[in-house]
Formats: sequence, structure tokens, C-alpha cells
Amino acid sequence: MNQIFLQFLLGIMFLTIIFLHLSRKNFLASIAYSLQSLIIMLFFLNSFFETNNLTILLVVFLVLIVKVILAPLFFIRLIKKNALAFSVSTYLNTPLTIIIIAILTFIAHYQKFSPLTNIVPANQDSLSLALSAIFLSLLLIINRKGALSQILGVLSLENSIVAFVVFAGLEQNPALQIGIIFNIGIWILIATIFMSMILKHFGTLNVSSMNNLKD
Amino acid sequence: MPISFFILLSLFFVGAIGSLLLRKDDSAANIWSSFFAIAGSLWGLLFSVAIIISEHTLVFVIDNAPLSLLSLSFNIDLLSAFFIFVISLIALFTSVYAIGYVRHYYQKYNIGDLGFFYNFFILGILLVLTASNGIFFLIGWEIMSVASFFGVIYDRNNQENIKAGFLYLVMTYIGTAFITVAFLLLYKFIGSFDFATIKSGVGLLPIGVKNIIFFAALIGFGFKAGIIPLHTWLPAAHPAAPSHISALMSGVMIKTGIFMMIRLFLDILQPIPIWWGVVVLIIGMTSSLLGVLYALTEHDIKRLLAYHSIENIGIILLGLGSALIFSSLGMPALVLLSLVAALFHTLNHAIFKSLLFLGAGSVINQMHTRNMEEYGGLIKYMPQTAFFFLIGSMAISALPPFNGFFSEWLTYQALFQGIAMLGSSIRWLFILAVSVLAFTGGLALACFVKAFGSIFLARPRSMEVAHAKESPRSMLIGMGALAMLSFLFGIFSSQTVSLLEKIGRSFDMLKKIPETILAPNNQSMMIKNGFASVSSLTFLLSLVVALIFVTVIINLIINRRQKIKIGATWNCGTDLTPRMEITSTGFARSIILIFKGILKPSIQHTIDYSDSESRYLPKTRTVSLGVGDVYKSYLYQPITTMITGLSLRVKNIQSGNTNIYVLYILIALLVSLFSIL
Amino acid sequence: MIIIIWAIQIILTPLVSPLCVGVINKIKARLQNRKGASIFQPYRDLWKLLHKDEIISRDASWIFRVAPLIVFSITLVIGTSIPFFTSFLTNTLTGDMLLIVYALAIGTFFLALGGLDVGSAFGGFGSSREMTLSALAEGGFIFSFLTVALINGTTNIFTIVNADIFVHGRYLLPTLLAFGGFLVVLLAETARFPFDNPATHLELTMIHEAMILEYSGKKLALMEWATFNKLFIFLALSVNLFFPIGLAHTAGIITISAGIIIFMIKIFLGVLFITLLESSMAKFRFFRLPDLLLISFILNAIAIGLIR
Repeated sequence: MNQIFLQFLLGIMFLTIIFLHLSRKNFLASIAYSLQSLIIMLFFLNSFFETNNLTILLVVFLVLIVKVILAPLFFIRLIKKNALAFSVSTYLNTPLTIIIIAILTFIAHYQKFSPLTNIVPANQDSLSLALSAIFLSLLLIINRKGALSQILGVLSLENSIVAFVVFAGLEQNPALQIGIIFNIGIWILIATIFMSMILKHFGTLNVSSMNNLKD
Repeated sequence: MPISFFILLSLFFVGAIGSLLLRKDDSAANIWSSFFAIAGSLWGLLFSVAIIISEHTLVFVIDNAPLSLLSLSFNIDLLSAFFIFVISLIALFTSVYAIGYVRHYYQKYNIGDLGFFYNFFILGILLVLTASNGIFFLIGWEIMSVASFFGVIYDRNNQENIKAGFLYLVMTYIGTAFITVAFLLLYKFIGSFDFATIKSGVGLLPIGVKNIIFFAALIGFGFKAGIIPLHTWLPAAHPAAPSHISALMSGVMIKTGIFMMIRLFLDILQPIPIWWGVVVLIIGMTSSLLGVLYALTEHDIKRLLAYHSIENIGIILLGLGSALIFSSLGMPALVLLSLVAALFHTLNHAIFKSLLFLGAGSVINQMHTRNMEEYGGLIKYMPQTAFFFLIGSMAISALPPFNGFFSEWLTYQALFQGIAMLGSSIRWLFILAVSVLAFTGGLALACFVKAFGSIFLARPRSMEVAHAKESPRSMLIGMGALAMLSFLFGIFSSQTVSLLEKIGRSFDMLKKIPETILAPNNQSMMIKNGFASVSSLTFLLSLVVALIFVTVIINLIINRRQKIKIGATWNCGTDLTPRMEITSTGFARSIILIFKGILKPSIQHTIDYSDSESRYLPKTRTVSLGVGDVYKSYLYQPITTMITGLSLRVKNIQSGNTNIYVLYILIALLVSLFSIL
Repeated sequence: MIIIIWAIQIILTPLVSPLCVGVINKIKARLQNRKGASIFQPYRDLWKLLHKDEIISRDASWIFRVAPLIVFSITLVIGTSIPFFTSFLTNTLTGDMLLIVYALAIGTFFLALGGLDVGSAFGGFGSSREMTLSALAEGGFIFSFLTVALINGTTNIFTIVNADIFVHGRYLLPTLLAFGGFLVVLLAETARFPFDNPATHLELTMIHEAMILEYSGKKLALMEWATFNKLFIFLALSVNLFFPIGLAHTAGIITISAGIIIFMIKIFLGVLFITLLESSMAKFRFFRLPDLLLISFILNAIAIGLIR
């Protein structure tokens, strides 16, 4: 697969993040996340075909199973169980959100960040795009009140970082791969436990009503 | 040779870990930790004496350190060896004492923990004394501070001890912050944390930065040493800890601050401007005088001893300050004299202060209170403890022939030389220092008359005294050995001083000068230009001869038919009650009133009348005597109020909303990326 | 010959000190228009006390019994450490001024402890007052010694009194100022007016007497004798350190005898001064005494400042 296809995939990923910002139904958000993870998996698959590193193949499978299939299933089940169909609550209204998205993307492409994005000069645009994806994921966490959206934001942040790393040519680093595997495991664990605990305690997943952490 | 050092460290390490593993069994933990502490101390004594006699400096590095800036490098030169000697000596006898003392805590608290922290404390001190890399030094410093913190709060049922421990922890960390700043500044300008590299590169420091480093180091190590006004943790923390740990804290731990000051100011950062020595001298003056004045106001025996530690640190700083001044003026012979005085006083103070703390611990064990007003007449119930405490009191009041006199004598000589040799404005500083030292000596004597008299003499002031018993043998051995050392170091002061001169001459600037303090017939000390000389042995012998002579003549020759009757004290015909005796508060009240400008005593009357209308017949009267806490109200309270106010305003950043926190993360990310790239 | 001189040196203090006090009492009596006791009365008093029985309080411990022995022995030891009538003896072992100051402090220490040991109210406050004054007097004491030491370049007392008179002549003003300071310290340490009244037993006015109130018999004799010794020592120090005239420079019968006689005359002048002072003023209130000691200290500080 050539670079153009990869860049196209990255573009799709970027669009999914914007979609996450704008979507109102949790179900669609989960699907968008699954699409992101699929793209990441394709990145790794491409890397495997180029280097034949078995660890990467392992990562591919793990990402496929956990992130593409299991995580969205888990979220969908969570949505059905707790009737969390809609997540409309945000701090900023939609037009303002879009303006800030634009500003952050523009900042990421700004010249000041060129030492960062020039790690692999051929991929400079992709790296800037991945950097803006990181910023946007952070914005997602900030903007949303629902806990599920925030978790999706963190997960997409992680995907963006992985994309950045892939385009920076660092995916050969075994530490990254082990980190990703480990990260997936821990996140699933914590997400389950944490969300069920919050729900049990507060009765809702709306973060702004969780002002008092003590009884 | 490094093997022997690692044996030393591992003895204490094994003692600590084993004690922790044996925590289920109190007496086994006690025996294990005491055995290894004693073994380690003996090994440390041999090790340090071997280094001092062979004049061989050990420098070695343990490779494969995890981080690039941290190198586990050790530098054991003669100064470190001397301090290792001091701590081994004191640790040996406090460990012997602890065997009997710790039994007091069986069933109440966990002895295994105590042994663990005790051994780690000593280990931390050993690391501090030998580390040659800034970060490694800080690691040892942390171990020492945290282990002693746990020692301080060991008796945790008493709320005061927890508060004292907290105060101690906070102030230690403020001090450590200042030390870290000093090391960081050195790193920034010289490029290394390693002490040897810093020493050779000290010329790279601009003078302004050097002064900042001086202040940072002075304040940082001053917090640990307990100079005024950074001393407020000392009278709170030393009483709270168990007595053998108090003895180590007071005898050795505060000296590590002095050790680093000597190392930094006399060795690494040379040459130094003269006002550094002036500042240290002034700090020494204020600490000694104020320390002894506050000691006079105390009726809690351990707080009294803690203030005396502050006073003696002041005296050591007088020696160190004069050494610094002489080094700036290029008088190496006098530097050697002052340095030897400071080192000798360090050793002596460690010995007699530990002795006093151990004695206080024995008394407190029996009386279950630290309040001296409830003691009295203990000399009849605890005669050996009283005798050892008497020797400690005589030593700390600088009475010959005990060791305190000879180190103060040397300090006086250093100051006298300053007055004789220096120009006019600095002379007055030295004259002031001599007067402060003279007053301090006199006031210390008054304070220990009060302490010894209140505790041991006269009639019992409370019912508890009748239940007091003499301490168990291990405690007596610990105290007795220290008393004997106090005596021996006084008698053999000239030999000790020649060894100390050897240590002093290991410093770079003092390498080529001849001896300053001579020992002509090996039993007297003489300053080289003939200014002064004193002999401890002759004095002792003449005193003993006179005593024997007088005793024989008076008791055996004159009037052998004399009868001695035992009767009651003259009481002007009234009942003889303990209330007739003077209290320790009353004893010192005259001095407090004379110094009322400094101490700010207060007196409050509360009267409860039988009939509130007519106010003629009081039911109860309460008089409260107090001494104003100047440091709290003028120094710490304003700082605390400012910090609290600032914190309240900053608290608004913490809104409790996670989204805001992630916003902070995003902003921080953007800002840092902008500034780095 | 040297041995004889040292022998005289050793016994001079306990032998002659009661005589000094006897002379003081006699002159005071004469000034008060009384006949007064004979000048040898203190000897008779000591003899009487040594042959009396004792009563010891049951609250007293071994410190009470040992203190008189220690206090008296200290005065004997110090008596051998200061030069009286010779200037050619050398004692580099115990003739150091700081040793003298602190050895006297040992005496004060045990005296105060003895006072506290019996648990009477008198002993308690006597010790308290004594330690207060002693602590404050020590500054002036060391400083007056220091002045003379700096003038002579040594703190060894034997060497100081060996100095050329011109040394002192050149430094006349500092020497006089230091002498004035030393006189105040002398009065404080030997418990004479205006610091303490040696003849009183009123609670308000006792300091030294309060501490030895419980002693009787031999112990009281030793304590009193020690006080006499201390007075003699201080007088000897004041006349020899600051005015080292008339000391025997060589060992010969004539010079030694002349030295002794001149020394006795100097002591007599000192005694006369004390007597006149005591007859002309009252004892000060206790809290005025620190001011007096501070004046002594400042005089000495000025003296040191004037050197060079």
C-alpha cells in the first residue's frame, strides 16, 4: 500500500474525530470509534507487510479483536443496558465547537511546530494532521459532559498518538507495541469497573453532577 | 578497603530488614536490631580509626547507576572518617542502652518497626557522611530524615508527638529544598553533581551565584543543625522521640549539618569572601546565647536538653565562623586552630549530650512524665543514673577535668587569637563572640544546677518518685561508658587534639602548615606562640591529691570523736513539705526577668472568687508564667498567613470539574510545545 | 630552695586567709566605734567548728557530704596555680586563666548543689541567686583576665606577673579600667557588699549564707574556710595581675622575704579598700546587681578596645 492510501486513511480518521464531536447519538459514536480503530489496524498491517515483524502481526490481531470488535460491542451493550442513547450535553454550542476545532487544526499546522512535524519530512502533512487529531481528542474530553463521550475521547486520543507515531516511523519500537497492548488491556478493565461504579454511586454518568466525591 | 565500608553499611541494613521481619516477636526483634547496631558501630569505630591513623582517603564509585546524573560515588576522607567515628561511638552506646530501654515499649508498639527505623537512620547518616555526588547525598539525606521522622512519631498515642513529627517533617523538607537549590545552582554553572568535579571547577561560579549558594546551603543545613531562627522543630521533635533516638538525633544528626557546612565552606567553595565567616560567627553567637536562655525557661527535661543542643551548635559555629574568617584573611595556622576547636566540640557534645539524653530517658521511664517539677529526690532511688547525669552536667557546663572544658578552651583560644591578630572592626566581632561565649558558659552552668537539683536532689515532689527504681543494667552500661568517655576525652585531650590536627591538616589549604597546638610532654596542650597552655592531667591529679589530703585530715585526724546525727532540715518550725523546695521555674525566674527584653516573659493571674460581688475571698488563684514565642509570632506566623492566603486564592483553580482539568492539560501542552520548539 | 617556695605557696592560702577576714572585721568594728574581736578570731571560730558535732538533714544525699570537701580542695588547687610573691616560678600546666575561672565554677557548682540538696527554701533561693550572679559575673571575670592577657601576649598567669613594669606602664589606662572591672567581679564572687552581706541571716539579704545554712560542724568549717580562701585568691589576683610590683625576681632569702612582705602589704591595701567600701554603702537590691555587673563588663570591653 502506498503512502497516498495511508494518507487517505488518516484523512478518514480525522473526519471520524470531527464526527465524534458533532454526533448526538452514542451508538454512532461507538461505530465511529470502531472505524478509527480499523484504520489504525490497517496502518499496522501495512507496516507488517513492509517489515515482516511478527510482533506487529500480533498487535494487528489484538487491535482487530479488542478495539475494532469488542470495544464497540461493549459500549453498545452499555448503552442498551443503561439507556444512554443520547449524549447531547456539551459545554460549548456547536458553532463555537467548530470554530475551536478549526483554530486547533490551524495551530497544529503552524510553522512553529515544524521541528516536531519534520521528523519524517515526507510525511509532514500527515504528521500535522495527526497532531491536530491529538488536540481535537483533548477538546472532545473537555467539551463533553457525558462520561461515555469522555472515554471515547481518551481512546481516540490514544489512536491519534499511535497514528502520529506510525507516520513518524517509530512503530518498530517494541516499547510502543507493548505499551499499546498493555494500554488496551488496562483501559478496558478500568472502563468497565469505573463506569459501573460511577453509575452505581451517582445514578448517572453525567460528569458535571459529580461535584462531590465524598458523601 | 571498600569491602570494609560495605560490610559497615550491610550490618546496619541487615539489622534493619531482619528487625522488620521479626516484627511479630518483640524481644527477638529487639535483640536482633541491637546486636546488629552494636556490631555495626564497633565495625564503624575500627574502620574510622584505621582511616584516621593511616591517613588514607577512600574514593570509589559503584558503577551501573541507573541514571546519568546519579553516580554512587563515595569519598571517605579524614573528615568523613572523623564523623563516622563520632556516630559509631554514640550509636554503640545508645544501642547498648536501647536493649533495656526498648523493653518499656513492649506490648505497646511494634519493636520490629523501631529497630528498622533505627538502623536505617544510622545507615542514612553514614551515606550522608560519605556520599560524593549531590544526588546520592540527597538520597542519603532523605533516608536519614524520613527514618528519624518515623522515630519521632513512634509513640503515636500521644497527639503532641504526631504534631511534633509533622513540624519536623515540614521543616526538614524546607531545608532539603534549599539544599537542592544549592546543588542545582552548582550543577548549572559547573556542570556536575560530583563533589570532586565541583571543587576543581569552583572558579567558574560568578560571585553573585556563589553568594546565593552560600545562603541556600546555610539555610538548608541550618535547618538541620538547628540554628536560631530555624530551630523551632528541635524542641518539639527531640522530646517526642524515644530517648535513644533523641540521643542520636541530638548528638549526631544535627552534626551532619555542621559536617556539610565544613565540607562546603572550608573545602569545596574556597576561596570565600570574609563576610561569610562573619555571618556564620553571628549566627553562632545568637544561637548559643538564645539557646541557653530558652533552656533556662524550660521545665520539660527533654526540651531543656534540646535547647542546650542549639546552644552547643552555636559554640561549634563560633569555631567554624572564626575558621572561615581566618581562611579569608589568609591565616592558615589560625584556621587549623579554629577548625580543631569546632571538631573537638562536635565530638564532646555528641558524647555528653547523648549521656544526658540517656539519663533523661531513664528518669522518664520511671516517672512517666517529662515535667521536672514532679521529680525530686531521685538520687536516693536511682543513684547510678544520678551520678552519670552529674558527670554529663559537669561536662556540658565546661567544668574541668571533663571534656567540655577543653573544647571550649580551644574555642576561646581561637577567638583570643582573633582579637590579638586582627584589625579593628573585625576585632570587635571577636570580642563580642568572647563575651557571648563567657555568658553562655555561665548560664549553662546555672541551667544544669537547676536541672540536676530539680531532678535528683531534695525531697520528692510527687508520689511517683517512691516507685522509681534504678534502670536495668544495659542502660547503666550505656550511660556509664559515655560518662567514662567524657572523663577520658578530658584527660587525654591533648592526644585527641593532635589526632584532630591531623584531620584538619588533610584539608587542602592547611596541608603545608606545621602544628598549631603542641603537646610538649604529651599531657598538656599548648598553643604554638605560647599564648596559652593547660594540662588536664595535672589539674586532675592536683585536685585528687588535694581532695584526699583534705578528706584524710578532716575526717580522720581532727576530732575523731565527732558524732553525726541525722535530723530534719531547718524549716522555721513549720511542716516540712515538698512545696518548700524551690521549683525549677522559680530557680530560673530571676535570670528570665533579667533578660526580659529577649525572652519576653508573661505573667497572668486568674482569680476565682467565692463571692463575685464582694471580691474579698478568693476560692482559687491561678498564675500562669510564660515565655513569649518570638519566632512564631514574628517569623513563622506571617509567613504561614501569607502562604495560607495565597493557597486559598489558588484553590479556585481546583473547581472539581474534570473537564476543566483536561482543558488545563491542553493549554499546558500547547504552551510547552510553543516554548520548546 | 624552689621546693620551699612551692611549699610556702601551697600553704599560704589556707594559712593567711582567715587573717584577712579577721582584719576586715576588726577595721569595720573600729569604724563603727566598737572594739571588735581580735584579728585571729576566725582561726578560733574554725577550730571551734571543727570540734563540734554535726546534724545532717535526712533529705541530704552524698552531694551534701562531698560538696564542702570539693569546694575547699578547689580553692587549695587554685591557690597553687597563681603566683603570690614570686615572679620566676613557671607553671604552664595549671596556671591558665581560663582554667582558674572554670575551676572556681566547679566550686560554685557544688556549693549550689549542696544548697539545693537539703530541700529547704533558703538553700533553693540562695542557689538561684548565686547562679544568676555567677553567670553574669563570669563575663566580666574572663574579660578582665583577657585584657591583661592581651597586653602581655599570654594567658598564663605566672608569665603575666613576670612582665616588665613598663609594659603595664604603657598600657596604664586599659590596666586601670580592667582593674576596676575586676574589683566588681571580686566583690560579686566573694560575696561581699554590695552583692551579699556575709554577716546576715535575713532571708531577703542572704545569698551565700543561704546555701550553707544547713551545714554544721566540720563541713561548715570547710565551707567558711573555703570562702576565706576565695577572698584571698581574688585579692592576690587583683594585686598581682594588675600591679606586678615588688615580686621576688630571684630566689634568695632576702628577696623572698621582701616579696612576701610587699605582697602582704598589697593584700592589706586590698582589705582596707573592701572594708571602707563595706562601711560606706549598703547592700544593693538584688535586681540592681546585674546592672553593676554589666558596668564591670563594659569597663573591661572598653579596656580591651583601648589596647593598641
